[in-house]
Amino acid sequence: MIRDIYAYRCRKCGRLHYPFRMVCKECRQNDFFDFDLVPLPKTGKLLTFTKVYNLPAEFEVPTLGLGIVELENGLRITGQLEVDDPRIGMAVRGEVKPVRKSAYDTFYGMVFRAG
Amino acid sequence: MRDVYVGGIGITTFTRLEYPLSEIAAYPAMMALKDAGIRDVDHLYVANMGSARVNHQTALASAVVDSLSLTPAGAAVIENGPASGASALKAGFAAVASGLHDVVLVSGAERMREVNNLEATDFVATLTHPLAEYIYGVTLPSHAAMFTRLYMEKYGLTERHLAMVAVKNQNNAMLNEFAHLHQPITIEGILDSPEAMTNNPYVAEPLRFFDACPVSDGGAAVILVSDDVAKTIDRPLIRLAGVGQATDTHAVHEREEPTDLLAVRRAAAQSFEMAGLRPEDVDVAELHDAFTILEIVESEEVGFFPKGEGHVALEKGETAIDGSLPINPSGGLKGKGHPVGATGVAQAHEIVTQLRGEAGDRQVDGPQVGFTCNFGGFGNNVVCLTFVREGR
Repeated sequence: MIRDIYAYRCRKCGRLHYPFRMVCKECRQNDFFDFDLVPLPKTGKLLTFTKVYNLPAEFEVPTLGLGIVELENGLRITGQLEVDDPRIGMAVRGEVKPVRKSAYDTFYGMVFRAG
Repeated sequence: MRDVYVGGIGITTFTRLEYPLSEIAAYPAMMALKDAGIRDVDHLYVANMGSARVNHQTALASAVVDSLSLTPAGAAVIENGPASGASALKAGFAAVASGLHDVVLVSGAERMREVNNLEATDFVATLTHPLAEYIYGVTLPSHAAMFTRLYMEKYGLTERHLAMVAVKNQNNAMLNEFAHLHQPITIEGILDSPEAMTNNPYVAEPLRFFDACPVSDGGAAVILVSDDVAKTIDRPLIRLAGVGQATDTHAVHEREEPTDLLAVRRAAAQSFEMAGLRPEDVDVAELHDAFTILEIVESEEVGFFPKGEGHVALEKGETAIDGSLPINPSGGLKGKGHPVGATGVAQAHEIVTQLRGEAGDRQVDGPQVGFTCNFGGFGNNVVCLTFVREGR
């Protein structure tokens, strides 16, 4: 099964959104599910980041990198960061991978590396 | 709209409390009833965020109203994340201002230390966007950390400024008998000495342990009354003069300017407009410093200082208890503690105490106008209140 993350383009005004919302923030004119799915670009630049030490118990790692990335088309996305020496503005490339496992489910999300 | 006054206030110590959650809500409510010298209320609002998840109890207001033997008065829980407290006060304000009720008791309570720290952090993290944030392991400390990094880059803020907020607020908390942390700290101990990295390790870079508020249990209560009832209560007259609330995008990354906290700016402006006052008129403020960075940024966004200059005012000592605009004399969330549902009510409790002139060793000099900012989510749901001391 191929898993991916999509942006949502308003059918009324064309504005892109991520994550999904019921009504476009720009024109606020949509009917139900009035959006087209658009693949998210996988490359962008790092806007800000952190390395977290106190994680929820489900994360069986000592630290976790997190960042907000501005993608090529200007949309932003929050994701995990696997970069040794992150810097604001650096180029990153994302991949959709499992990011969290609970007792019942595995959640897929964007994981960014340098590139 | 009718004028709305504060009839009475009450608070518990913020710490680890080995009492049932309903008692943590009922105890400060009893204090507030005693303070006001009244026995009857028309309605109870209980502000709480996590009873169902953390304490395995739902319908908390029904338990509290009966425990206080206030039945058949109406009762309901207001859950609005960390802004539950001020949101409940807003609901109480609306009820009294509209004429629906004359006496509304608002009690905020949280018992977070029933679970361990990791679970408490995860519980608060459930307020983040479930698919765009929570699944990645995003927590409130990580939001605050990513925000801080941008602020440092853009406005020249340093870890030293953050440490200065921690020192100021924990020292203020030393003067507050209800505060969670009674631990004096110094810049040397948490930043400059060789032991500082051990004393004060990173929680989420660039934020360290002493940049975050403790996980606390506690409750606070405020009784809101109409003009007619206020006249019968023999306490200094404090009016809740302004109520403002604003929201912002759920996912933090969707905000156009990531260093802005627009909901804080808008909620504060609304609150001041209703009160007919300006930020310059404020004599004492309680701002939502769940993380040290937030006190600095909120002090800018509510209009006390220009954008990017909050840390300069802090450096000059303007926000100290004896400064020109004391911020968080109670110790703030940082020093007093942050039982999430109680916090907004506890901020109001401190402002009323200050305006009454009853704050003891931490009393600000003769304040007439007080202000609170209760910050929900990571700035996506914010409630600001303006209080004014009148006449007697």
